[in-house]
Amino acid sequence: MRRVLGLSPRRLFAMARKETLQLRRDSRSLITAFLYPALMIVFFGYVITFDIRNINVAVFDQDHTQRSRELVEAFQAAGYFRVTHRLDRYQDIQPLLDRAAVRMALVIPPGFQRDLSAGRPAPVQALVDGADANTAGIALNYAGSIVTAYAARVVLRASQRGAPIVAQSRVWYNETLKSSNMIVPGLVAVIMMVIAAMLSSLTVAREWDRGTMEQLAATPVHRVEVILGKLLPYLAIGLIDVIAAVVIGRLVFHVPFRGSPVLLVGLATLFLIGSLGLGIFISAATKSQLLATQISLLATYLPSLLLSGLIFDLASMPFALRVISLVIPARYFIVVLRGIFLKGVGPEVLWVQGLAMIAFAVLGLTLAVRAFRKELA
Amino acid sequence: MIRLPLDPVRMRPLLGKEFRQTLRDPRAKRVLFIAPIMQLLIFGYAVTTDVRNTRTFVVDHDRSSESRQLVTALTASGYFRVTGVGERPADLINALDHGDVLMGVEIPRGFAAELGAGRQTSVQLLVDGSTANTANVALGYATRIISRYGLERGVAVAARAGAIVPSAGVDFRARAWYNPNLESRVYNVPGVMGLIVMLMSLMLTALAVVREREVGTLEQLMVSPLKPIEMIAGKTLPAVVVAFLDLVLVSAVALLWFGIPFRGSALLLITSSVFYILSGLGVGLLISTVSKTQQEAFMSMFLFLFPAMILSGLMFPVENMPPAIQYFTLLDPIRHYLIIVRGVFLRGAGWSVLYPQILVLMVMGVSVLWFAATRFRKTIA
Amino acid sequence: MTLAVEVRDLTRAFGDFVAVDQVTFDVAEGEIFGFLGPNGAGKTTTIKMLTGLLAPTSGTGRVAGFDLRRESEAIKQRIGYMSQLFSLYGDLTVEENIGFFAGLYGVTGPRLAERRDWALEMSGLKDYRRRLTGQLPLGFKQRLALGCAVLHQPPILFLDEPTSGVDPISRRNFWDLIYEFSGRGTTVFVSTHYMEEAEYCHRLALMNRGRLIALDRPAALRARLTEPILEITTDHGPATAQALQGARGVIEAAMFGRAVHVVVEQAASAAQTLPAWLETRGIPCRGVTHVRPSLEDVFVSLVRLEGGAVAG
Repeated sequence: MRRVLGLSPRRLFAMARKETLQLRRDSRSLITAFLYPALMIVFFGYVITFDIRNINVAVFDQDHTQRSRELVEAFQAAGYFRVTHRLDRYQDIQPLLDRAAVRMALVIPPGFQRDLSAGRPAPVQALVDGADANTAGIALNYAGSIVTAYAARVVLRASQRGAPIVAQSRVWYNETLKSSNMIVPGLVAVIMMVIAAMLSSLTVAREWDRGTMEQLAATPVHRVEVILGKLLPYLAIGLIDVIAAVVIGRLVFHVPFRGSPVLLVGLATLFLIGSLGLGIFISAATKSQLLATQISLLATYLPSLLLSGLIFDLASMPFALRVISLVIPARYFIVVLRGIFLKGVGPEVLWVQGLAMIAFAVLGLTLAVRAFRKELA
Repeated sequence: MIRLPLDPVRMRPLLGKEFRQTLRDPRAKRVLFIAPIMQLLIFGYAVTTDVRNTRTFVVDHDRSSESRQLVTALTASGYFRVTGVGERPADLINALDHGDVLMGVEIPRGFAAELGAGRQTSVQLLVDGSTANTANVALGYATRIISRYGLERGVAVAARAGAIVPSAGVDFRARAWYNPNLESRVYNVPGVMGLIVMLMSLMLTALAVVREREVGTLEQLMVSPLKPIEMIAGKTLPAVVVAFLDLVLVSAVALLWFGIPFRGSALLLITSSVFYILSGLGVGLLISTVSKTQQEAFMSMFLFLFPAMILSGLMFPVENMPPAIQYFTLLDPIRHYLIIVRGVFLRGAGWSVLYPQILVLMVMGVSVLWFAATRFRKTIA
Repeated sequence: MTLAVEVRDLTRAFGDFVAVDQVTFDVAEGEIFGFLGPNGAGKTTTIKMLTGLLAPTSGTGRVAGFDLRRESEAIKQRIGYMSQLFSLYGDLTVEENIGFFAGLYGVTGPRLAERRDWALEMSGLKDYRRRLTGQLPLGFKQRLALGCAVLHQPPILFLDEPTSGVDPISRRNFWDLIYEFSGRGTTVFVSTHYMEEAEYCHRLALMNRGRLIALDRPAALRARLTEPILEITTDHGPATAQALQGARGVIEAAMFGRAVHVVVEQAASAAQTLPAWLETRGIPCRGVTHVRPSLEDVFVSLVRLEGGAVAG
């Protein structure tokens, strides 16, 4: 009997074939594995956008002068805000904010124009709905920019000069700052991780639950053969998904693809091996399908979604979370994906992530092999 | 004599079994009670759109005190952190490629001279557009800081030249209501609570029913005198209790650990929570009718939950979504519940403000559960 | 004669509970060795230790000449195993299950085709090769499981309650197969709680509460019970057994199907007195026959001597 590294390729192949046959008949797993990732990428690519528009604003203009009107117009013109209410009384502000009919109220006190012309600081107040801190912060940021820009215009008009410093900005890699360019590549990582962990976590636990593990355990099959045999069909599916994601990204969202496909497939393979290994580890350790799915989902989707840098900036998070994010594989894979899709960089830049992927793959496999025991006790 | 649709006598052993089964498994307990807290903690701290400490690369061709002042203005804001300095623009681009920095500032030679002469000059900003959100916001901050610096310099120069210039301009004051420090978690934690409660409601029903079917005990129950509605109630009542316990648990964490204020009516919260939980149970029951195994059930549950979470407004404001999608989100019970939760905790909103959401939840909860129960009855009849 | 299985003081404990208690026996090559006992007696645990699925707490054993603890993988190459609960893949077809296990055991090429056809034939599933295994009736499933266990023609076969839940006709067919294997030199180690199946074995080991309480040929075991047995038929079995417990000349009385088997000191006199005894207690006696002791009688008697079977 031929042996490679102490393993029998024939037995390995028998295991992989069995898994494939079972998978072929498991329509729900197939849908989850193929249809769902594609749907999610399209769906979220449209739904998730970082642009903030149409923030409803109520204006309480107590000055009613040319300057105050100009300020309000500046707000309208910027495109972020929509002036939906013009108020006459201060008391009218509260109900609007309470009801979340508006996110912000702009209060221009009387004497605005007078103060401005006289060279005194002219106060303008913005009351913002802080409940949604995210939008509030951004709204204030925009508002502040508008006010500052307006103030600069006024001041400089008086001195007949142009703005002293013009900040010329250029956006690299994603010139139009299109949200889908930022989201779609990263989404692939998150979805792959979750699907891989979920599907593979079921496979070992299922054998325990159904009793077929006993039969398997009594045969000469080696546990590494079992694990690799279970891993291979899912790896194939995962790679197909990655390729499909690239195609969807290009066709539907016109996400550029500037790097090397070979590098992508290679690193994706490592990432998948790690995720699948992790799933099998969870499966082998819990020996119960139910628990395996729960743990695999809870342990992968949340960190991948939140702590991978996909949506929320890692540098802005508390230190503890940043440390945790170091061990989240999706984080590195997202860098790889963005690098290959948008930046067009190669191994000379991505070697760090590459190493991380290798480590992840090795760790995943090791954990899986360690945890999986043929013996019942 | 009043005929109840349920017979309490028959139901008591069923309920007892359900509770015992749920609470006996220590691993299940961990999932039911510890996982929600962990999720709450992670979400509470992670979800933030503040941009701070953005790694920046500076190429300063001028090396004047003004150019240094500009850089200081940027870093003093707390939004930027200079992690790289270089002589050539190529270094900057290299740093961007490597992902070492997210933004670059290039100050041209003659910057100070131009400023001093009252002429216009420019500063180059280069930002990595591939990262989430950071590009947009960072650019905004940087532009504002640079403009303000320019304005200050311009005014100072003009004043020295003897022109009469209104100084300072506008004094912009901002106040944030409900959440004066604009802490992200104040917004997110109540939202995550809604997600967790839904997750639990779904999970408990979907899995509990399917587990019995898989193991074969469902058949055993079917030949007993239990009526279908009693079986349904027997499965859902314990789930309601556990979901409620989870709600209390995460609320406690929210109030005590995160210090989230609670300004509204507890009664309102409890009432809407009941309907919300019912809708979750309904969906869970529906899932259990179409799943033969626990794995199928759990996967279906996840397939539903993932988009429901995104569309709920938990992380991404619904107003920013394409209009067609915004209508679609009205079908998502989580969305309505989040409005209620945030209103109750943070704004002290009352029945008069939140009644639309409460009504919707009520209709959803009852109708989904009723529909699911009908289907369930058919599958076991 | 070489030994297929050798076990010395084999013990397995789960915490405080001792499932298998210092069991010692040998199984010769080619034997059909039966393992009899009530549920919970330790039969399945013993088999799991012999097949390398469980590690023994103490004691030693050899299967096919290989040590249980240290050479379990070598053992697995040489044995076939059929577990108590059906454990083939329900979501694979008959053919696919055969193909899978053949692959694991290294049955390839022309040999594969030959063994596969044989397995389909012996399980009666030739026309159902593409049917999903989960959809087959239980009798066929068991035969298929047996077929999959011997694709590689192992010298030793371990069958753990292979016929539980199967109808009597299928059970007979199954045992015909076992005889066939034994005839060709395969050692068959089978556990069962069906008494009539025990009769089919060459030698029997009786287990109760983890301990081996008897080990011999079925005929020899039956001969152990020297006291005569009367079979008494009435309309009310349980009441009869109860009533007879205290009667004179009765050693013990137990249900046997719908009748009652009574172990008596003297057959002839008991046959006279006992019906009368029952009449006085309002139980009319329908029939009295002197029967030869069956294994079941032997077993019940032995277990009683040991203090009763484990509950459950």
